[in-house]
Amino acid sequence: MTLQIENVIRSVWIWFWCFFGSTVLVPHQGSSSRWTQGRSIKNVEEALEALQAARTGEGGASVTALELLQKEEEFGSIVTFSSRLDEALGGGIPVGKVTEICGAPGVGKTQLCLQLAVDVQVPPCFGGLGGQVIFVDTEGSFQLQRVVDLAGAAVRHCSLLAEDEEQRVAMTTFSVETILSNIFLVRCRDYVELLAELHLLPDFLRDRPKLRLLVVDSVAFPFLRLHDDLSQRTRLLQGLGLQLIATATRHSIAVVITNHMTTRLRGGQSQLVPALGDVWGHAPSIRLLLQWEESRRLASIVKSPGHMDATVQYQITCEGFRDADQSEQLQSKRPRIQTDQ
Amino acid sequence: MAVLLEGMCPGLDKDLLRSLRAADIRTVEDLVSSDIEDVAQKCSVSYKALLSIRRVLLAQHTAFPVSGADLYEELLSSTAILSTGNPSLDKLLDSGLYTGEITELSGGPGSGKSQVCFGVAVHIAHRLKQSVIYIDTTGGLTASRLLQMLQTETDNTDEQMEALQRIHTFRLFDVCALLDCLYGLCSGGLHKARVGGGSVKAVIVDSVSAVIAPLLGGRHNEGMSLMIQVAAALKTMAKDFSVAVLVTNHVTRSGSGEVQPGLGVSWSHIPRTRILLERVETGACVSRPGRRRATLVKSSRQACRIKEDFDLQRWSAADGGAPSGKRKLDQADP
Repeated sequence: MTLQIENVIRSVWIWFWCFFGSTVLVPHQGSSSRWTQGRSIKNVEEALEALQAARTGEGGASVTALELLQKEEEFGSIVTFSSRLDEALGGGIPVGKVTEICGAPGVGKTQLCLQLAVDVQVPPCFGGLGGQVIFVDTEGSFQLQRVVDLAGAAVRHCSLLAEDEEQRVAMTTFSVETILSNIFLVRCRDYVELLAELHLLPDFLRDRPKLRLLVVDSVAFPFLRLHDDLSQRTRLLQGLGLQLIATATRHSIAVVITNHMTTRLRGGQSQLVPALGDVWGHAPSIRLLLQWEESRRLASIVKSPGHMDATVQYQITCEGFRDADQSEQLQSKRPRIQTDQ
Repeated sequence: MAVLLEGMCPGLDKDLLRSLRAADIRTVEDLVSSDIEDVAQKCSVSYKALLSIRRVLLAQHTAFPVSGADLYEELLSSTAILSTGNPSLDKLLDSGLYTGEITELSGGPGSGKSQVCFGVAVHIAHRLKQSVIYIDTTGGLTASRLLQMLQTETDNTDEQMEALQRIHTFRLFDVCALLDCLYGLCSGGLHKARVGGGSVKAVIVDSVSAVIAPLLGGRHNEGMSLMIQVAAALKTMAKDFSVAVLVTNHVTRSGSGEVQPGLGVSWSHIPRTRILLERVETGACVSRPGRRRATLVKSSRQACRIKEDFDLQRWSAADGGAPSGKRKLDQADP
């Protein structure tokens, strides 16, 4: 008898808890923690605190567009000594972005890179950046004698323009020897060396705060030989692109890369397009296409977030990369001084 | 996977827990999906006690159905439609970006995805006076271009500066930083960005494929799981905070040579609306370099495959109006 009553009481107790337990515990998830032991809540809180402390603030801070604008205005750009191209680019090759120069062989990509390597060193009072340059050469196209010619022409140009005391003082430090000493040349023979070099770049940049330009000539050459595993090539290229963009943004340097052209067959027609595919096309922010049109050389901006598509004509003289129409008129090719704009 | 803990519900005491663990029942799922009679016999516990515990746990851990009418009411009160500022795009998107959803823009290099993102950010910051979060992974964010677009909308420099201050930018270059940023935004960042007038109504990620595509394929499988984590973070942010999420994607060529959005089939289920951008390839286009064509690839509201042409230079005007030209203002118009 007593056993039956006990069972009845127990079942009533259980029924009571089921009924009330479900209505009390359901409304919010947090209430279930009420039923856990005190030490579990403390463990969870400690874990959260440890996680918060471990989070570094790298991506945490946001920058408003206004602050970004102010930073961009401080950066400046690298003149190309072709005033029409500089005008189309809004001053020159921008610092902090990845610019790609693509073109058929012999159109002048390496010449433009060498010109930029000299131009980045023009002192600030003449409108340049006064910075150093690291030139990563994968094709063996770096010719020292040509750089000497370009440097000599730039020095002559600037010494003709030197008007006031500050500029004359700056000219004493701007000579062919100093220009050559500020170019760091790295020779990479295959894609592994290229990737390794870019991997080690942040340490190199930390020791040289004056470095303002990274030139990779060319990025296509080591990868064009990777035929067997195209998906690996795509992944490597995407990683490389991200690394270049990260370097450009974090260290405020201009990154200039050169690319080859390849033929794409569409329908029955063939078309010259930049090599390495559409996937690589997303990596550079600005793309300059150098091409031949009969005997003229044209430079077109085909992709840019801040500039309209434009085409200008240029020429390569013994002095370097210059505007097309004008012959050796040095006065007209004055590099743009930032205060003008 | 909720682990069975002591005191989780009345009746679940230490001894019962120990005997359940001995029978290899450690989590709520294990208990709920096991045969109660069997377990009662193994652990020598009363059947009724286990049944009541199971009922309480089910009640604690279930999702509750909501009626369609309530859901509709909730949608009406919490969803907003943000116009992109471009009438052609608005037509494609059924009047604009919907909050609580992910919209995707894909296109090849130079097709105008970043320009569209800039246009949307400027329109929301200036016209709608709401804050925008812009996460840039391509390095293409140029504040001077944003300023140019604002200068065609208004001449007042104060308004321009105010609008620029409403756009909060992040520059990240790998997927872990992106996840970190998204989680940070979910857990309080969005409230902080509210300062300066207007709550955050749009989050633009340009582009999501730049950080995820290098991880997909290959021997390691974490690329796919990271992609889905990013998708889950974006979706919860969109739903919980009522923001419109706009992402950009690259394109790949399918086997037949046709252009399709990248990141594969798994990603194609994530955005609610997908638009494919391309350049207009006609010979007569030399004078209008900003012409682009947008195709609706996936939509739950409109018929797919509708195309709209628009001009990047004339963002806010349907026809005529001042060009928001992509060049310095001191140059003359053609």
